[in-house]
Amino acid sequence: MQEKKLQVKELTISFRTQNGKVHAVRDISFDLYKGETLAIVGESGSGKSVTSKAIMGISAVNAIIENGEILYDGKDLTKIDEKQFVELRGNKIAMIFQDPMSSLNPIMKIGKQLTEAMLLKGSSSQKNSRNAFNGMLETLRVNMIEALSGGDSAKAAEITQKTKNFDKFEYAHLDLENAYNEAKEAAEESIDDIDYLVFEAEKNALDLKGLKPRIKLILSTAKKAVSRYVVHEKASEFGELLRRAEEEVRVAESGDTDGLTKTLKQILAVLNEAVALPMPNFFAMGYFVTFSGEEVPDMPVDELNVFLRKYLDDNFMLDFISYAKEGIKLSFERSLEGKKKTVELIDELLPIFEKTPLVKAECDKAGKELAKAVEDSIDRLALKKDDLAYIFGKALENAVNGYFSAVKKNVAAEKKHAKLQAKYDASVAKGKTPDWSVPPSEAVSEELAAENVRSVIRSLKEDYEAAIENADKMDFDGQTVAMIDYLKAQAAGVVNRVTKAKAKHKAIKLMEEVGIPEPQKRFNQYPFEFSGGMRQRIVIAIALAANPDILICDEPTTALDVTIQAQILELINKLKEERKLSVIFITHDLGVVANMADRIAVMYAGKIVEYGTAEDVFYSPAHPYTWALLSSMPDLDTNEKLDAIPGTPPNMIFPPKGDAFAERNKYAMAIDFEMQPPMFKISDTHYAATWLLHPSAPKTEPPKIVTDRIERMKTKGGEQA
Amino acid sequence: MNDDREVLLKVENLCKFFKMGNRELKAVNNVSFDIKKGEVFGLVGESGCGKTTTGRTIIKLYEPTGGNVWFKGRRIVAGTRSYKDEIREKRVWYKEECARLKAEANEKIKAISVGSDEQKRLQAEKIKVGLKEKIDALTAETNAFISEKTNEIKLADYEDKNCDKIYAAEQVKKVQNEYAALIAEESDETKKKALAAECKAEVAKAKKTRLVTQIQMIFQDPIASLDPRMTVRDIIAEGLIIRGEKDKDVINEKVYEMLELVGLVREHADRYPHEFSGGQRQRIGVARAIIMNPEMIIADEPVSALDVSIQAQVINLLNALREKFKLTILFVAHDLSVVKYFSDRIGVMYYGNMVELASSDELFAHPLHPYTKSLLSAIPLPDPIYERQRKRITYNPLAEHDYSEEAPSMKEIAPGHFVFCNSAEEARYKALLSEKQ
Repeated sequence: MQEKKLQVKELTISFRTQNGKVHAVRDISFDLYKGETLAIVGESGSGKSVTSKAIMGISAVNAIIENGEILYDGKDLTKIDEKQFVELRGNKIAMIFQDPMSSLNPIMKIGKQLTEAMLLKGSSSQKNSRNAFNGMLETLRVNMIEALSGGDSAKAAEITQKTKNFDKFEYAHLDLENAYNEAKEAAEESIDDIDYLVFEAEKNALDLKGLKPRIKLILSTAKKAVSRYVVHEKASEFGELLRRAEEEVRVAESGDTDGLTKTLKQILAVLNEAVALPMPNFFAMGYFVTFSGEEVPDMPVDELNVFLRKYLDDNFMLDFISYAKEGIKLSFERSLEGKKKTVELIDELLPIFEKTPLVKAECDKAGKELAKAVEDSIDRLALKKDDLAYIFGKALENAVNGYFSAVKKNVAAEKKHAKLQAKYDASVAKGKTPDWSVPPSEAVSEELAAENVRSVIRSLKEDYEAAIENADKMDFDGQTVAMIDYLKAQAAGVVNRVTKAKAKHKAIKLMEEVGIPEPQKRFNQYPFEFSGGMRQRIVIAIALAANPDILICDEPTTALDVTIQAQILELINKLKEERKLSVIFITHDLGVVANMADRIAVMYAGKIVEYGTAEDVFYSPAHPYTWALLSSMPDLDTNEKLDAIPGTPPNMIFPPKGDAFAERNKYAMAIDFEMQPPMFKISDTHYAATWLLHPSAPKTEPPKIVTDRIERMKTKGGEQA
Repeated sequence: MNDDREVLLKVENLCKFFKMGNRELKAVNNVSFDIKKGEVFGLVGESGCGKTTTGRTIIKLYEPTGGNVWFKGRRIVAGTRSYKDEIREKRVWYKEECARLKAEANEKIKAISVGSDEQKRLQAEKIKVGLKEKIDALTAETNAFISEKTNEIKLADYEDKNCDKIYAAEQVKKVQNEYAALIAEESDETKKKALAAECKAEVAKAKKTRLVTQIQMIFQDPIASLDPRMTVRDIIAEGLIIRGEKDKDVINEKVYEMLELVGLVREHADRYPHEFSGGQRQRIGVARAIIMNPEMIIADEPVSALDVSIQAQVINLLNALREKFKLTILFVAHDLSVVKYFSDRIGVMYYGNMVELASSDELFAHPLHPYTKSLLSAIPLPDPIYERQRKRITYNPLAEHDYSEEAPSMKEIAPGHFVFCNSAEEARYKALLSEKQ
């Protein structure tokens, strides 16, 4: 099974407005797996953007999240505060908006807009990385000591020493590597520049005379490439070449440029050779430099790497890895033990929550006990956080409080509703038809609230039972390697301070990645100098600047025309593959989605009406709304009259009692106006909420225009395959 | 397709250049096509290719740079650039020709070797007189040419500016003639007077008839194209009032009729545009266009800003109106599936040039120009398996065409199927087409 990146559960969002409460999103649930694209399709006003904005934590001020959870990385995004959201937004979850012109600042240069977030986030992420590194290393140390020492203080001291050493040489490693990277980048940059210059000079007889400042700049960059492991052996020769080049620039001013070209070519040769050298193992070198007290021996890089690796393994790494593995094992086993206990405890305490009505004192006590048990059972060394366990305490407390406040408020709400109903009836009795209707009673059903409490506990129990079952499939070696990599990554986050130059370098790399030609030149331009497609590319580059896991695209191509749309979609697909992104793609155009989506959720009036893989939804659509969407768009073979959906979406201040689509649906049955259909399961991946799927419903075929098209697509697909 | 239908709109080498500093942006460059009565002509291309500019120049929202537009046999748009270019060329040609003749004469004079000095002088004199005669003839020819072209420029300017007035004058004359005949036939004095009064009223109306208002436009953005401070009634009736209709009851009746025609109700007439949804607003835009009883509608991306389900409503509405009023429509859009569904013939534009023109079935079945192919390959379809295999063709004009030897022009590859190409490409396309069939 794939890893779930994001879970949305029973999310309900309303807006307070002057005219009443608008029920924008009503009880929707979906999961987003790693590396997949989930498309949310629907008309404007169906609640698709509201959902995405809730995930980003940028809902409008009058929005109320009434119910539900959005689980991401051990947090419930509906409950965290703005400060925590700032950490997530951009860094973990990024968004691309519909109109690229309005999401860019018109009076700010593109380069500044690209680097702004990097610089802002740079300092805060440095602090975060430091905390994460220290916290994880400390937890690891404690676990290792407990697993191995058995009360032996000498062993404990050894382990403590080792962790300290790891901390120390890890930073040394990064310093070495940074110095190397800077030199190498300087070399690469000079190669590009000189290459271009020489090419131009030879092909087009470029006038080298006027380029004095530029050549000087290139030479000063090239100077930075002199370093150990880059331009080392030929350092003196290289220095001599640079000096000669500087002199020849002066000569070239009088018109004779042959000497300069020749020298530049020689410099190019040296640099090319240097860049081709293999990279030393700086991780091991860091250890050697820190603890051996010797100079790094002068030998070819391949041999050096073997030597350093051996030194590191013999003195430190093998031991450390085995210790770490023991520590991780211990932590895992403990957590497993805790989980088993928790499951037992739940079995024991569940009757308290199954009583009607619930008793507050009992519930609070049992809740606290459970929360503590769950807290203890969390494996702090696990890199993939267990979402449900992390939020369990809060979620249970909220559910219990929700129940007791619902019980109290129930009376008042009921009274208000009765009053309104009486008023309505009175005016009807007088023979009027009021232009308003009575909103359904706001009172939360007691039964539902209690069920809510139980479902929190039950879903955790199921989660834990699954974890216990899968316990023996645990790969500790893999976990240990992942742990070391995690620590390395965090340490890199501490050392790599984001400077303006670095941010610019990264921004230009990003611009290249999203397909903007001449990024160096474009970096200093304003948004109005870009075409629509290019602007959207910039917006995508900004969204990707902080390396997010999840990318939300809110109608990214609606404002663009067909060819540009195709390019942007290809770009998003390419980036998704390369960066293993999970994408939520919001659109009203089903045609766009066929290319992008792995799974599709069709939304109408705040509810998901159909949910399935792209093949399910396009080849065997089940909900009349999906049929209507499919039949209202012409394709290249359509000749008959289009089936437009009559009418407009319902007013969400008074959401319809039954199926929201019933009024515009020519297949509607009597029950559609009375009761909301549940999600019927069609296959393991395909669900739809329509009474037509009920066993006792009459068998209904999709409209002819849709069946015809599916038939055509199948034959066409067959031809191509 | 019956091709013997009357040509309603004829666009002839239309050019529209915008000034950009010292340079000129060729938004529309030598575009020609004609639209027959009752036909839907689709104009497609990516944004910035000049399709909207073409539509707007036809309806005289922009001053044309060059070329003509003929509507119902009358010239309504006339640019002067081509004549000016011709004059300039003629002047250059004149200078060159003069220089050539002079050089020739000098050469001849130098070449005289036989005879005495006196004979030589006489011969030279003769040659010089011949030269003068030739140059005089040339000057006369050039001047005639220039004055002819200047007249044409004057005529173009006049017609471009006054096409409506000319049309109104014609209409007035027609009405007057009709009534004059009627009055002459009539013998009763009182009836004669009544006819004269009637005639006066009709003439007043005829004076206000306009030719260009028989072409109406529907705009892309239904929010921006409706004045937020006018009621729907005012918006729809505005054209009628400008045309001289004063009777309130007639106006109201007409407005209600139009509202019902486009699927709205009478009560909507007193509301403001912001009270409507996107699809309803576009319906108001349609009602505003058809109240003028137009013969032709230019629909500039009328569904691009709408939701899918609403798009279908508006397309169905346009289709119904088209049949009811026998409208001719110029449909500008970038959504090819919609254009294919809606149009009889399609023109594909690329950077100001029309690159391919064919009936819609023909264009989609046998696209010839590489840009058309790339455009067709970018259409997304609701078919996941096909979509995943779909390869988009990119169009790179520099790699595709070699126009160093011969410049391209519109050439007819098959009956009714025109492609912008040179003769080498023409041969290739023809071979391709016969291969396919």
